[in-house]
Amino acid sequence: MDNLLQILFNGLSVGAVYALFALGYTLVFSVLGVINFAHGAVFTLGAYFTYLLLGGAVGSNGLLAGAQLPEGLPFWVALVLAGLGCALVSVGLEAVAFGPLRRRQAEPLLSLITSLGAGVVLVNLIQILMGAEGYALPAGSLGQLPVTLELGGARVRTIQVVLMLVSALVVVVLTLWLERSRGGKALQAVAEDATTARLLGIDSDAMIQLCFAVSGFLAGLSGGLVGLSLSITGPYFGIGYGLEALGVLVLGGLGSVPGAVLAGLIVGLAEALVPGEWSGYKDAVAFAFLFGMLLLRPQGLLGRAVVTKV
Amino acid sequence: MPSLRWPDGSTTRALLVAALVALAGCRSADRGATSAVKLDGGVPVGAVLALTGNANVYGQDQKVGLNLAQQEINGAGGIAGRPLKLSIEDGGSDEAGANAAMTLQINRGVLAVVGPTLSQQAFSADPIAQRRGMPVVGPSNTATGIPEIGSFISRVSAQSSEIAPLSIGMALKLQPNLKRAAVFYAQDDAYGTAETVIFQKALAEKGLKPVTVQRTQINDLDFQNQITAALNLKPDLVVLSLQAVDGGNLIRQLRELGYRGLIVVGNGMNTPNIYPICQRHCDGILIAQAYSPELATPANQAFIKRFQASQGGAIPPQLTAQAYTALQVIAEALQRLEKRQPLAGADLGQTRRSLMQEILGGTYQTPLGEIRFTPEGEVIQKQFYVARVKMNPTGNGGRFELLP
Repeated sequence: MDNLLQILFNGLSVGAVYALFALGYTLVFSVLGVINFAHGAVFTLGAYFTYLLLGGAVGSNGLLAGAQLPEGLPFWVALVLAGLGCALVSVGLEAVAFGPLRRRQAEPLLSLITSLGAGVVLVNLIQILMGAEGYALPAGSLGQLPVTLELGGARVRTIQVVLMLVSALVVVVLTLWLERSRGGKALQAVAEDATTARLLGIDSDAMIQLCFAVSGFLAGLSGGLVGLSLSITGPYFGIGYGLEALGVLVLGGLGSVPGAVLAGLIVGLAEALVPGEWSGYKDAVAFAFLFGMLLLRPQGLLGRAVVTKV
Repeated sequence: MPSLRWPDGSTTRALLVAALVALAGCRSADRGATSAVKLDGGVPVGAVLALTGNANVYGQDQKVGLNLAQQEINGAGGIAGRPLKLSIEDGGSDEAGANAAMTLQINRGVLAVVGPTLSQQAFSADPIAQRRGMPVVGPSNTATGIPEIGSFISRVSAQSSEIAPLSIGMALKLQPNLKRAAVFYAQDDAYGTAETVIFQKALAEKGLKPVTVQRTQINDLDFQNQITAALNLKPDLVVLSLQAVDGGNLIRQLRELGYRGLIVVGNGMNTPNIYPICQRHCDGILIAQAYSPELATPANQAFIKRFQASQGGAIPPQLTAQAYTALQVIAEALQRLEKRQPLAGADLGQTRRSLMQEILGGTYQTPLGEIRFTPEGEVIQKQFYVARVKMNPTGNGGRFELLP
């Protein structure tokens, strides 16, 4: 029983990260119908912003070597500010990599390529400014909270519980906003049909920028939390999460918010169920699960089946 | 909908001409080997280091060592009055990067290459050097089988089978009642897979059969699954064959999840760059080393003095000492070669072959102590050490404390 509980916690904590990451992809996909490959870079940026706002110093190999805030901020303040910073960057990415092509009604594939390019530029910029070395967020950033919690015989690191709780909170807030608020409903309208939404008086461009801002905020938030949990291994550390989250996005159903969350948790659990001695193959297991699911249900877990009218 | 149509006649001719021009412009693979040694600006020696990616924590240490060695060599008159011209290329942390950097150095006409940083990269890039007749001195490749790649490949880093068992012996000396070992290694890393075999053999010889062997991947960051699986078996010794970044993360998570026993790590964590990753959790880990800052030889003391002058009094790490040694070996071999046959204008391929023979034939007084090479290019080093990491109370820095 203890072992099952441990596996459950292991899976949910990893799945929460995937879910949070995939939500950012989902939001952009639901509105524009393209995957934002720069999302991983924004996630990475969130981790670096959080580190700097906590008072961390830039290492000796970047252009900003030695730069440091005179006083570090409390962790939660730093995290939110990092999220807001990433939101701004994400809006900037939309203006550069997506907006011009969208206004020319270019093929969606081109936006995918430009987002990839924008992501590479962003990551290289991080490397030039901060260097390629790893950074660890200061131990004790969670204040007086214990480092580990024991829940029903299973041991879990407190930061992972925080990740799960933050993911759950984000999903609830996002869902409520999308379903109940004017802004959320306007965004849904734009996602359904941008032209019709415009005709109904909705500023589609503003809604798209809002979508990117929310997506960027989520990336920054998850980057900061993962950076605290696992340290920042270098400018490319968001890439691996990006690839896993793509699988989660597809498994959950392209454009489905609850689908992204459910799929994230399922992939996390699937990886946790791989025996410890074989956990080097967990990625293969997760993607094999995805492949099998898509054979049975091509639209994903909660995606909408595409109806072809003849 | 676009259709696939065969190009018309004029387009075909243009394509053929373009292809012929491209082929004519291709450099012959052996062009480097038949040209002459160029000494513009100095005697050219190259390096391929991991300056980006996860292994950059090693490459940065090595770059310091190479720069110090270059200053030392040129301060003493260079190679027969000519400065040693060092060019460092970033091989990244994967095989493709190392291959590209090695090829670039070969085509540049350097006389020898120090690198690459990782054994995994060496297995990929060294065969390129071997085929092109380029002498290579590996500064930090410890996996079994590196010098066996070919006659142009050598290393100054003693292989894991010489060093790793010493740390197991020290663990038992500190805690004779150890019974249950948990082993972790990166299964997609040539260094990790080679070293774990040596560690497991050493454990078995000491009566410590592992209770579990957990596999990871180089780029893994979250080890919750493997750690909880291992901790369920209540080990009192954990043995890691991982690189610095993933190893540092694993140690931090291991300690946070409540493990309080001894930890032995392999050469992949032989760098102070693990301190920011595992912070105060680095304290107490045991590691076997090929370098001691306390070795009281003139060569080591001169190296330490130069290092401390440039690095604010810090203790030099092993990787820096090994990189320094690698360049020292090449420089001394070049000096002997220059006396036998002037380098200027000599055939490049023949010069590289002769240089390799000089490298293998010499005896060197280095920061690592006295070293020589076997005819196959394996280093012969007399002394090795075991250190324990001692972290500062703040957890922001530490040192490798040599154990008697």
